[in-house]
Amino acid sequence: MPKHHRSNALFRIRFHGRGGQGVKTASRILGQAFFLAGYEVQDAPRYGAERRGATIFAYVRASHDSIYERGIIRRPDLVVVADETLVEIPAAGVLQGVTKTTVVLIHSKLTAEDWIKRYTPLEKVVILHPVKTRRQELHLDSAACAGAAACLAGVITRDHLQRAIEEEFVGQKGSLVQANLTQALDAYNQMALDSGLVIAGSGDQGTTPASPDWIDLPFEAADISAPTIHAALTSTQVTTGLWRTLRPVVDENICRRCGLCSSYCPEGVISLDDQGIPVIDYVHCKGCLVCVVECPAHAIHAHPEPVPEGEQT
Amino acid sequence: MNETHFHSIKDLSTHHLLGAGTAMCAGCGGLEALQVIYDILGEKTVFINAAGCMTLLSVYPYTPFRGSWLYTAMASAPAGAQGVRDALDILLEKQLIGTDEDLQTVVLTGDGSAYGMGLSATSAAIERGLDFLYICYDNEGYGNTGHQSSGATPHGARTATCRTVHGFSGDKKDLFAIWAAHRPAYVATVAGAEPVDLARKVEKACRLKGPRLLIALAPCPTGWGYDPQETVQVGKLAVACGLWPLKEAVQGKIVHTKPPGKRLPVETYLKTQDRFAHLFEPQRDEQTLHEIQERVDIYWREWEE
Repeated sequence: MPKHHRSNALFRIRFHGRGGQGVKTASRILGQAFFLAGYEVQDAPRYGAERRGATIFAYVRASHDSIYERGIIRRPDLVVVADETLVEIPAAGVLQGVTKTTVVLIHSKLTAEDWIKRYTPLEKVVILHPVKTRRQELHLDSAACAGAAACLAGVITRDHLQRAIEEEFVGQKGSLVQANLTQALDAYNQMALDSGLVIAGSGDQGTTPASPDWIDLPFEAADISAPTIHAALTSTQVTTGLWRTLRPVVDENICRRCGLCSSYCPEGVISLDDQGIPVIDYVHCKGCLVCVVECPAHAIHAHPEPVPEGEQT
Repeated sequence: MNETHFHSIKDLSTHHLLGAGTAMCAGCGGLEALQVIYDILGEKTVFINAAGCMTLLSVYPYTPFRGSWLYTAMASAPAGAQGVRDALDILLEKQLIGTDEDLQTVVLTGDGSAYGMGLSATSAAIERGLDFLYICYDNEGYGNTGHQSSGATPHGARTATCRTVHGFSGDKKDLFAIWAAHRPAYVATVAGAEPVDLARKVEKACRLKGPRLLIALAPCPTGWGYDPQETVQVGKLAVACGLWPLKEAVQGKIVHTKPPGKRLPVETYLKTQDRFAHLFEPQRDEQTLHEIQERVDIYWREWEE
């Protein structure tokens, strides 16, 4: 009998992605699939204000026993990374609590070896190969991630997965349901060799919580505890360029120096140099691509991120 | 004095004052309008921001502004502006600051606050003749929390709180008319997709004293359901279809600043967004489409007569 069939075993699965990829939906699909497979399930997304491109996590817990654990998953058995650029952002917390036994599923063009070499805690890396490049289909990532995760868990059949998706998208267009099913089942099949790789951890953690490692701070007067910011423009320290999936690149030979891109850029990150050529601030450009559409000379083109090594401009 | 600096898009600044790195969604139509507005207002401004998407512009310890910013509850931004304006006036009167240190008081709210919760406070501020500029970024719903219906949601649109077959059954409130009825110094509708028209109106508002109010159409890729790159196109279509009339009222006299010549059918605009997709699939909702077109036709017929 596989280890995870212990009666008190608890699957702890954490999803990481960006707003717009459907990470919340992925966690719901996987949760529902576990439920159909006879499990007690908890699934919950966690995010701040809703922002396309901003980081989001979601959690799924599944067990044959009652689940008493709540909140953030600190020691995941499986981490699903829908957007590989999140791994390098500490605030996204992708690697938090990852150990040598944690399976990390990354939606990536790189190989598992590349990832293991790059980040020390990674050992059990599984790659889900992206199948689309069209940004309009970004939301389908959720189905692929849920499908792959379902297979890796080893206790969910294709039939459970299919029913979970049909239930999640009830009342939606037939073509949308079909597109999600295709993505999910393809990803499920892609994982066939690694089926059951995820080992559910012990279910005991939730009943014996460790005391939190906080520090008590003395009460301070308002002028000390409520800080005032006197510096202007500090937002530029936030590198929103990491939100990009596509990078706008200006072809100087075609550019007519009209400056329209600078006027329409919602972020205000396009300035003009002495020659009137647009200069895009890639540290902050979120990749909305308004400039690509608005350029009357069609001099701005979208290139996929991340730019492969050796091809950087 | 009344001569405008803005004749074409080339006259707009290509050096932008608002800092990058904010939490606004990629392709935010409201942020696009704010860029143009802030470039013209300049650094000597204090923003009074009611809760909404743009509250996230300034999140400790980060701010994209070059000057001060004050956060208020959703219903209270104009009241906050009154306090700030009064404080500045007292400092000026006591000569504790010079006139060169005076600031333009700018209220910044979304449509949830402007069309709904904050309407009463705005009415009272106009009544008192408060010297301030009000900028409403109108994305036609509570965008910050998942796009629930607001007083600005248009007829037929689907929102998080309105999933019915025909979409939102009510009508978008005519905030321009409500504000204009107070006879403020200046009130105008604008769109980031029409930056020259927008720049001229901000310029005009800056030259006036008293309550000056702008309603900026803020196409919202996240809430309306379209690719972020289409933000300007969606805004231009709203104007070209006659759904978003660009107009201004100075002391009650209303002028359309950019009337669409031959209006495009509203479908051209509606088809670009998922929030109206149910009007076309699985079958065309002729009744609702007709209702939307008819409202636009009636509006323009009344003006053209």
